[in-house]
Amino acid sequence: MELQECKPIVEMKNIVKVYLDGTVALRGVDFDVCPGEVHALLGENGAGKTTLMKILAGVLKPTSGEIVLEGKHVRFSSSADALSKGIGMVHQHPALVPVFTAYENIVLGAYRPGARAEIEKLMEETGLKVPLDAPVESLPLGIQQKVEILKMLYRRVKVLILDEPTTNLSPLETRELFRVLRSLRSRGAAIVFISHKLREVLEVADRITVLRKGVKVGTVSAEEATPTLLAKMMVGREVEMVVSKPRVALGEELLVVRDLWVRSDLGTWAVKGVSFSVRAGEIFGIAGVEGNGQKELVEAISGLRRAEKGKIVIGGIDVTNKHPLEVYAAGLAHIPEDRQRYGLVLEMTVAENAILGVQRSPRFQQPPIMKIKWSEVFSHAREIIKNFNVQVPGLTAKAKTLSGGNQQKLVVGRELTKKPRVLLAVNPTRGLDVAATEYIQNLLASLKEKGIAILLVSSNLDEVLQLSDRVAVIYEGEFMGVARPEELTEELLGLMMGGYSLDKAREVLSRKTT
Amino acid sequence: MPVEALSQLAEIARLTTFSMTPLLLAAIGEIITELAGVVNIGLEGIMLLAGFAAVAAAEAWGPLAGLLAGVLVGTLIGLLHGWISVYLKGDQIISGLGINIFALGFVAFGIEALWGVRGYYTPPPEAKVPRIPGLGVSPTFIAAIVIALVSYYVLYKTGIGLKIRAVGEKPDAAESVGVHVERVQLAATVAGAALSGLAGAFLSIDWLAAITKELPAGRGFIALAIVNFANWNPILALAGSGLFGFFWTLGEWVKNIGTIKAVIPIPLLNTIPYVATLVVTAGLIGKSRPPAHIGRPYRRE
Ligand SMILES: Nc1ncnc2c1ncn2[C@@H]1O[C@H](COP(=O)(O)OP(=O)(O)OP(=O)(O)O)[C@@H](O)[C@H]1O
Ligand SMILES: [Mg+2]
Repeated sequence: MELQECKPIVEMKNIVKVYLDGTVALRGVDFDVCPGEVHALLGENGAGKTTLMKILAGVLKPTSGEIVLEGKHVRFSSSADALSKGIGMVHQHPALVPVFTAYENIVLGAYRPGARAEIEKLMEETGLKVPLDAPVESLPLGIQQKVEILKMLYRRVKVLILDEPTTNLSPLETRELFRVLRSLRSRGAAIVFISHKLREVLEVADRITVLRKGVKVGTVSAEEATPTLLAKMMVGREVEMVVSKPRVALGEELLVVRDLWVRSDLGTWAVKGVSFSVRAGEIFGIAGVEGNGQKELVEAISGLRRAEKGKIVIGGIDVTNKHPLEVYAAGLAHIPEDRQRYGLVLEMTVAENAILGVQRSPRFQQPPIMKIKWSEVFSHAREIIKNFNVQVPGLTAKAKTLSGGNQQKLVVGRELTKKPRVLLAVNPTRGLDVAATEYIQNLLASLKEKGIAILLVSSNLDEVLQLSDRVAVIYEGEFMGVARPEELTEELLGLMMGGYSLDKAREVLSRKTT
Repeated sequence: MPVEALSQLAEIARLTTFSMTPLLLAAIGEIITELAGVVNIGLEGIMLLAGFAAVAAAEAWGPLAGLLAGVLVGTLIGLLHGWISVYLKGDQIISGLGINIFALGFVAFGIEALWGVRGYYTPPPEAKVPRIPGLGVSPTFIAAIVIALVSYYVLYKTGIGLKIRAVGEKPDAAESVGVHVERVQLAATVAGAALSGLAGAFLSIDWLAAITKELPAGRGFIALAIVNFANWNPILALAGSGLFGFFWTLGEWVKNIGTIKAVIPIPLLNTIPYVATLVVTAGLIGKSRPPAHIGRPYRRE
C-alpha cells in the first residue's frame, strides 16, 4: 500500500526509539511528508505517534534511524534546533508562557523589528485571528492553539506538526482549524496531523499513515481510505463502531439536583437553577458547547465548588456543599475532564495513582500507624491494568510516562473499581483511540445493567446521543430542554446549543419546513 | 508654613535618598534574579561582604575602587550562588542561607585581622564617596534611580526581558524556542548579586562610612519583602524603597525629640519603618503574583 507521488521535504528512515526505562516505543518506522500536503498520523493509544513526531521535532533523540531534511542528513540537538531548521511542533498541551500576551509568546526568543506588523499580516493571510495583547492564560484552548501555530509560522517553519489538535476544541473551533490548515497547505506548508478521530482525518488529510505498537502498518491516500479500513489497520481487527444500548428497567433516583445555582471563577452565575434527576440504570447526557456551565455544574456535584443555592442528593443522602470525601462516600465516582490536573498525580507512580481516593480504606492501610500495604496496592493496580487494558511500562513507572490515552484508562479504571452508585463522567473518551473509545462506551452501557446512575457530560454530540437515555442541552447555565435522543435531530440540537429552548427550536424548524 | 518646618522637611527628604538607596539597589537586583526563577536570600550576606571589601579597597585606592570592589564581590557570590542553584540544581534557600552565615563569620574575623580593631572600623574621610555639590545627595542614589528605570524598561519592554521572564515562568516553553535557560538564569543571578554588592558598598563607604558585622541591619530582608510587595516591578520597588526610606528617616528624627523619647522606648521606635512599610504596601498593592517556576531548579525530561 505504498504510494509516492510527491517529493518529501523531510523523510524519517527506520526510526527506532527505546526509552530509558526500556520501553520500545518505535520499532523501525519510516515516515515522510511533502510540501503542500496534510499527512495524518493515526494509531491506538501508545502506538508511538507522539514519540515519532517528537523525534522529528528534535524533542527526543532517536535510538537509531535517520532524518533527511531537504536532501541533507540532519541530527537535531534540541527542539529549538529543529525549529531553526524549519520544523515546528504544537504539543498536546500548549508550550506557552501563561502570563505572557499572545504577542509576547509569538516573538519570545525571536524578536525582530517590525514583528508586530509581520504577525498582523500573517493573521490576515491565514485567517488565524487572535487577540495579540491578551494574556494567553485568559484565552480558551482553541485560541491558545492558534497562538502556537502563529508562533511557528512567525518562525517560518516549513513542516508543522500538530499533536491531537482537535482534542480540546469545540466542533466549531475544529472547523475553523481545518480551514486554516487548508489555507496553510495551499501556501505550500507540510503539515502532520495526529488524531484519533477517523472522520476528521478523512476530512482534512491527503495521506494517512497508521502506526500500531511502534510499527508502521501502512500509508494510504485519503481517497482510498474508509473508516472501517482505517479502524482495522489501527486495531488489527474489525471494530464495531456502534455501541449497544441496553434498555434497563429504571430504579430509584440516585442523583437528584434541584434548582442548583453555582458561580464561575469570575463570580458570575455559571449554573442558573438547573434541576434534574438520574435513576439507577439510566444514562443522563448533558450536551452543549463547552463553557456553558458544564464545568461548574460538575464541580458543584462532586463537592469541589460551592453551590450557592439548591440541593444535591446522592443515593438519598444530601451532599450539598459537603467535602468531596463525603460525596465520594455517598457513592459518587468521578471521571474528571482534565486528567492531568485532577485525575492523576503525574509525578507519582502508576500504583500510587491506582489507589488515589481510596488510600484510606482498611484494605490498603495497616493499623495502628496506617502503614501502606504495598502488596495490596500492587495487586489492586494490577487488577485495574488488566481489566481496563492499560498499557504501562511498569507499576512503579511515573504516571507521566504513560501515553495520553493510557492515562485516561487508568483514571477510568480506578474510578469504576470503587463500585460507585453514581458515576459522573466528563468527556470520558476524550483523547482515546477507537478501540478504547469502543471499550469505554460499551463499559458505560454495561454499567447501566448493574444499576448505576450515570451523568454523562460530553461535548462530543455523537457520543451523547449514542449512549444517553435522556439528553439535556445546556446553554449559559440553563437547560434548553430535556429529550430522548430519538426525538432530537442534529438541527434541533444545533439550535438548542445556540440558545433556543426545545419548544422554540421545534417551532423554528417547523416554520422553515412549511 | 514656617521656614524652619520647610527646611526640616527638605532635610528629611534628603536623608531619605540615603536610606532608600541600598534597599532599592538590592530589591532591583533580586527582582532581576527572581524573574529568571532563582531566589537569592543571601542579599544580607552579600551586602556585608561587599561592604567590607569596599572599605578595604577604598582605603587603598579611593572611593570609586571601593564601589567597584563591592560590585566585584557581589558578582563573585552571584556566580557561586548561580552555579549551585542553576547548574548543580542545589537548594537555593540553603545556598542563600550559607552566604549569610559565612558573611557574618568572615567579616567579624576580617575586621579584626585587617585593622586590628574589634567589631567596628571607620575608614578615613578620603575613602568616602563625595556628595553631589549643592544637592548633598550621593551620586550612587542617582545611579540607583537610573538603574531602576532602565531595569523596568529592559525587563518589561524588550526581547531580553521577555527571555528572562519566560525562563522564570515556564522554562520548558522558553527552551523550546531556543532560549538558553541556564545561561539566562546564571546571568540574572550574577546581575542581581552585583547590585546587592553595590548596595553593600554604598552602606559602608558612601552613607554610613563604617564597617561592622551589623552593617546591613536587616536591609537585605526588607529588600526581599519589597520585591514581593512590588509584584516584581522595578517602578513599584522604587516607590516601596522610597516609602521605607522615608519612614526610617522619620523614625530617626522622632527619636531626637525629647518628649517622645521619654514616653516610647527606643527599640519600639526602631520598629516604625518596618511596621509602617508593611502596612502601607500590603494595603496598597494587595495580591502579588510570583514567577511560576521560582525557586525550583530547571530539570529537563
Ligand atoms: N517518557 C517516557 N518514558 C517511558 N516510556 C514512555 C515515555 N513516553 C512514552 N512512553 C511509552 O512509549 C509508548 C508510545 O507512547 P506515545 O506517547 O508515543 O503514544 P501515542 O501514540 O502518542 O499515544 P496517545 O494516542 O495515547 O497519545 C507508550 O507505550 C508509552 O507508555
Ligand atoms: Mg500522544
